[in-house]
Amino acid sequence: MIKLENVTKSYSTEVVALRDANFDIAKGEFVFLVGPSGSGKSTMLRLMNRQERPERGAVWVAGRNINDMPDAKVPHLRRNIGNIFQDYKLLANKTVFENVAFALEVIGRPRHVIRQQVPAVLDLVGLGGKQERFPHQLSGGEQQRVSIARAFVNRPLILLADEPTGNLDPATGEGIMRLLDRINKTGTTVVMATHDQRIVNMMRKRVIQFDRGVIVRDQARGVYE
Amino acid sequence: MISRLRYTFREMWASLSRNLTLTVAAVITSTVSLFLFGGTLLIQKAFDNQLKLWTGGVEMIVYVKHGATEAQVQLIQEALVSQATVVESATFCDEACSADVARALFGADPAALEQLLPVIPSFFRVKPVDTDDGAVLRSLKTEFLKLPNVTEVRTPDDAVDLLGQLKSFFGVRTLVMSVVLLVASALLIWNTIRTAMFARRREIEVMKLVGATNWFIRLPFMLEGLLQGIVGGTLGSAALLLANNNWTTGVKDFPVNSGLKAFVVTGSYPVWVCFLMILLGAFVGAVGSATAASRFLDV
Repeated sequence: MIKLENVTKSYSTEVVALRDANFDIAKGEFVFLVGPSGSGKSTMLRLMNRQERPERGAVWVAGRNINDMPDAKVPHLRRNIGNIFQDYKLLANKTVFENVAFALEVIGRPRHVIRQQVPAVLDLVGLGGKQERFPHQLSGGEQQRVSIARAFVNRPLILLADEPTGNLDPATGEGIMRLLDRINKTGTTVVMATHDQRIVNMMRKRVIQFDRGVIVRDQARGVYE
Repeated sequence: MISRLRYTFREMWASLSRNLTLTVAAVITSTVSLFLFGGTLLIQKAFDNQLKLWTGGVEMIVYVKHGATEAQVQLIQEALVSQATVVESATFCDEACSADVARALFGADPAALEQLLPVIPSFFRVKPVDTDDGAVLRSLKTEFLKLPNVTEVRTPDDAVDLLGQLKSFFGVRTLVMSVVLLVASALLIWNTIRTAMFARRREIEVMKLVGATNWFIRLPFMLEGLLQGIVGGTLGSAALLLANNNWTTGVKDFPVNSGLKAFVVTGSYPVWVCFLMILLGAFVGAVGSATAASRFLDV
């Protein structure tokens, strides 16, 4: 599903975010990207949805080298990738329903599809009764669930999560991880960058560890270390 | 398609109402600049009309030496008529005709008339083809003076020059001013759109990440700028038509010898200018907003 071949990305001559990264993620896998701040985890996620391009190497997503993809095709790529963020990136002036519907609306889905899919995905993330609330009326965990609903409402092939539990207490974080695990079990590939040692150790999924832009470990059913 | 249109117009309207103060400022600037631009075109046209009136009556008087023979007059006439590219017509007034003119002009001054009549010259009234350029008239004058038995040539070249200078003076300055204001209104629309996009940068980022195309994001902002330009053009046009109408009505009451009777623009020309103003407003608005929108789409 995702393949990196000798990928190098630098932001200046002195700051090399990734150096010769190679890995292969199969369809339906759940992968943690771990490492200290600045080790290259977020850059890796940004490369996967074409927010960044590498200096060298190739990034393959769903069988296509996305570095060579024309800009006009990038929106279509992104419709197959859901994004979850540490700060949720919810729109404060929209309700829960509108925040999730927004993701379908801007890609031109008809209204009847939106009316059908949004309540279904909100039920899935456990927010069935809170459609009309605004983000500020929700807890952090609930806001992250809205963010996950928005990322998943279009049934993407891949979910990219950048520190999704970073702002949450341990119990709420565990709830979010259970939700991501359920989504993963539907066949969606999940790639998650995290610092959260406890969660990585609890989930026992594949772990790719970064250190100063270099992959130092790639372990199936790994722990944080 | 319908849901996209609904979204586009809803977002355009929301953005317009969110930035009401900036929107009003952008509309006012484009109104003023387009009004000045249209005004410049009308002023140029009014100068053209005035120049046509003045130069339509321009005649050169070519005086022929008193006592010139018929053959000598014939020679001058042939020389004048042969220059068909610059001379439209040449009408001869012999010494008897010339004396009648003198009597009409100096009837009240018998002493001057008495001195003039024994040496009165005959003359040609020459109507030149191109008369809105003083330099052309002066060059014709020099040519005609070279003809045998021609004693003097009179032309209104100074008056024609003055009007030409006035046209150029006002035309260039008002045009420069209106272009500067047009650029200012484009920049203001650009800034309005940038502010609107900055306020919604988080929304735009989310839109880009969930797969909205650049055109989908850009379109409501472009429509917003387009609408500002069109409203500015329409208001400017209305103001221009009103001002032109006031001026045209006012000029009718001016004295006949004021020299401004033809300094008006009537007919369909003002309507065409207004059409151009609205088009220009739309263009400036769309280009300004499209440029501004593009700067926020690099996510």
